[in-house]
Amino acid sequence: MKKKTIIIVTIISLVLAFAPLFIKNTSTLTILCNVLLYIALATSWNILGGFAGQVSLGHSAFFGLGALLTRITWIAGVPLIFSLLLGAIVAVLFSLLIGSPAFKLKGAYFTIGTLALGQVLFATVGNIFSTSSTLPPEALRNYDLTPRYYLFLVVALLAFVTTYVLTSSRFGLGLKAVREEEDAAESLGVNAFKHKLLALVVSAFFTGLAGGAFAYFHVGYYPQYPFSPVWSLDPQMMTFIGGTGTIIGPVIGAIFFVVLKQYMSLNFGEFHLLIFGTLFILVVLFLPTGLVGLWSKVQKIKLFKPKAQEQKPNV
Amino acid sequence: MLEIKEVDTFYGDLQALWGISLEVKEGEFVSLIGPNGAGKTTTLRSISGLLKPTSGSITFMGHDLGKEAPDKIVDLGISQVPEGGSVFASMSVIENLELGAFIPRARKDKNQTLEQVFEIFPRLEERKDQRAGTLSGGERQMLAIGRALMSKPKLLMLDEPSFGLAPILVESIFKMVQKINKQGVTILLVEQNVVAAFELSQRSYVLENGRIVGQGTGEDLLSFESVRQAYLG
Amino acid sequence: MIQSLSQNLVYGILIGALYGLAAVGLSLVFGVTKLLNVSHGELLMLGGYASFWVFKLLGIDPFVSIPLTILFLLLIGVLLYKVIFSRIVTFDIENKIKNSLLVGFGLSIVLQNVVLLLWTADHRSIKTSYSGQALTMLGIRLPVVRLVSLGITLIAVIGLHFFLKKTYFGKAIRATVENWEAASLMGINVHKVYLVSFIVGCALAGVAGTLVTLSYSIDPSMGLEWTLKGLVVMVLGGLGNMIGTFVGGIILGLTESATGFFIGGNYREIAGLVLFILVLIFKPQGLFGIKEK
Repeated sequence: MKKKTIIIVTIISLVLAFAPLFIKNTSTLTILCNVLLYIALATSWNILGGFAGQVSLGHSAFFGLGALLTRITWIAGVPLIFSLLLGAIVAVLFSLLIGSPAFKLKGAYFTIGTLALGQVLFATVGNIFSTSSTLPPEALRNYDLTPRYYLFLVVALLAFVTTYVLTSSRFGLGLKAVREEEDAAESLGVNAFKHKLLALVVSAFFTGLAGGAFAYFHVGYYPQYPFSPVWSLDPQMMTFIGGTGTIIGPVIGAIFFVVLKQYMSLNFGEFHLLIFGTLFILVVLFLPTGLVGLWSKVQKIKLFKPKAQEQKPNV
Repeated sequence: MLEIKEVDTFYGDLQALWGISLEVKEGEFVSLIGPNGAGKTTTLRSISGLLKPTSGSITFMGHDLGKEAPDKIVDLGISQVPEGGSVFASMSVIENLELGAFIPRARKDKNQTLEQVFEIFPRLEERKDQRAGTLSGGERQMLAIGRALMSKPKLLMLDEPSFGLAPILVESIFKMVQKINKQGVTILLVEQNVVAAFELSQRSYVLENGRIVGQGTGEDLLSFESVRQAYLG
Repeated sequence: MIQSLSQNLVYGILIGALYGLAAVGLSLVFGVTKLLNVSHGELLMLGGYASFWVFKLLGIDPFVSIPLTILFLLLIGVLLYKVIFSRIVTFDIENKIKNSLLVGFGLSIVLQNVVLLLWTADHRSIKTSYSGQALTMLGIRLPVVRLVSLGITLIAVIGLHFFLKKTYFGKAIRATVENWEAASLMGINVHKVYLVSFIVGCALAGVAGTLVTLSYSIDPSMGLEWTLKGLVVMVLGGLGNMIGTFVGGIILGLTESATGFFIGGNYREIAGLVLFILVLIFKPQGLFGIKEK
């Protein structure tokens, strides 16, 4: 299974890497950029939300911080790579700051608390940086979509590979134990706090990095925008649609999300969000394991003939 | 009155009861005994509707309980005193008792039934406005039993009412249960306290590892290792 | 200075009452069913729109039409519960919260867009003949509309409190919260308890919506803001205590006003959130919450 996955992922990555050579249409490339951005976001969110089981609604803080720091420093002349790293690092620092108090909260309180935190940053940044940020003239003239596309691709790949490595390791096992039954895990010697914190930090890093890529990508936007709660809600929705706690889930969810929304906005116009919302509710109610779960159920039916009557139905 | 036939019950994927069959006739005092983890509580929960058996049938006075919701089963006349009593700690004794009479057919006779319960458990009347959480273990058990009686059950099931209580309390609790039985309420008692169970009941069933392994009177059952151990231990 | 500070704080109390009402509905639902309905703000919005249209088309005063709003939201609540939420309510608590969160988002998108499509994005508010009137007491201006709103809020919250504490069904609800299995063994139909709690929560949201339409304005996108306020106050006040939650709302309102007065309007929201986060860290059961276990 591992080798197969590596081959598939490599092939897809290569295809994506060479895509800009064949796709000249900027709007198609932009859609791809969006998909990659969401893949990066959903995958990073999933590290904390899916694998560690801590549903955070404050990830927009990391995204926004990454975007803010990258934007400011890069426009000021700092080389891109350092701006990006700075953005990611600031996001990480922030996560370390809130990690300890945040993890005192459990379940719904953690979710609500992170939501409030995200809002605090959203409102504060909106007050401090109220004017929109636009690229200086030379940057506008030299604007090229291709390097931005590659940046998104790299970030998405890094997030994906890191998730894979992290979750297949012993750390991943510990994380799963913490998610399932924290007290039991602790009694087995798993330091729940350390596991959750590391998950948070890694998640924050890539979310911040994605924010930096976002800042590099956009010509003009309000600095408050990347702090908006949608950047916390959307990755969660996508991950859920794909399947939380799986590596491929966020990827599928992100693709599905973007493609579906595009398709629907083109074909259903003003009704598209309404239909999207309804579909989402249906997925939550009837496909709790997401698309990945659906796929494995389908596979089980096709490949695996159930042993006659040995499996008693659940109550 | 109560007939359980070949019942299997699962907790998720784990089978807890394997083809259980037992019956309780009207007016009887029957015990279900067995060691920890044998499935006694599971049996009661299956009867009360908190768990649904996957096969077999549970019939009460001709009525199939298999598909019924727990509140309907109470309405039909079965009341359970769950393990530990499970009183509502934040509410007063009298509020707990009143809630016991929640079903419509018990509600209209609420005051009358309350008097009867206070007769059996005078201590409860003394403490009627006290918060249930502040009661002693024995009092809580009495409250739980009293509360179960408020629904005017035909069959009263008790899950280890003596658990954690001092011996002198255990005796008085069992005396009260006997009194209730004499007043016409059929009793199904689940107990680890084999001695008491044998003394009080006409018949007992032995449950081990989710299976009924025997039934009969006290002497009949002494051949079972688990029974002997419990008897001596 | 004392004068305008007092005025400011009074306004804080008045808006805080609305926050409190919004939170009480949410708290009732979450406290009983453990469903975190994040479309609560949209239900509030629906209540507002209901009042608005009844006023515009039938000319009925919004305070008078509150029973209609309540009925409307009760029916919507039944629909939502039966079709959607009853399917989630049987999960274990972790999944219940996660799933209700997600369903709530989906629902908020649906409701927002339904309203948007039906009635456009225009802001709506209700202006009655007495909308501009105000009493003046000790030099402080008390708008009539907001005073009556405060009164209604108090009636609703106290009414709910008595319902839960003194009525038979209210006690059944509390019993279910404490131990649903024991409650079932009493013959209490747990699903009925959940349904009633849910629809009452919706109705309270609707009433809050009516009051918001009178004092402020409504539009399709207002939901998230009010859901957030509701969540914040719910946790701030603490679960299991309706009066406490309401007071939490007042406290939030006062915090916001005071911040607005001393620091500046832009920081009102931030101060409230910071207060919330601090309480969450140091007293997670809320200011007045009943400690579980």
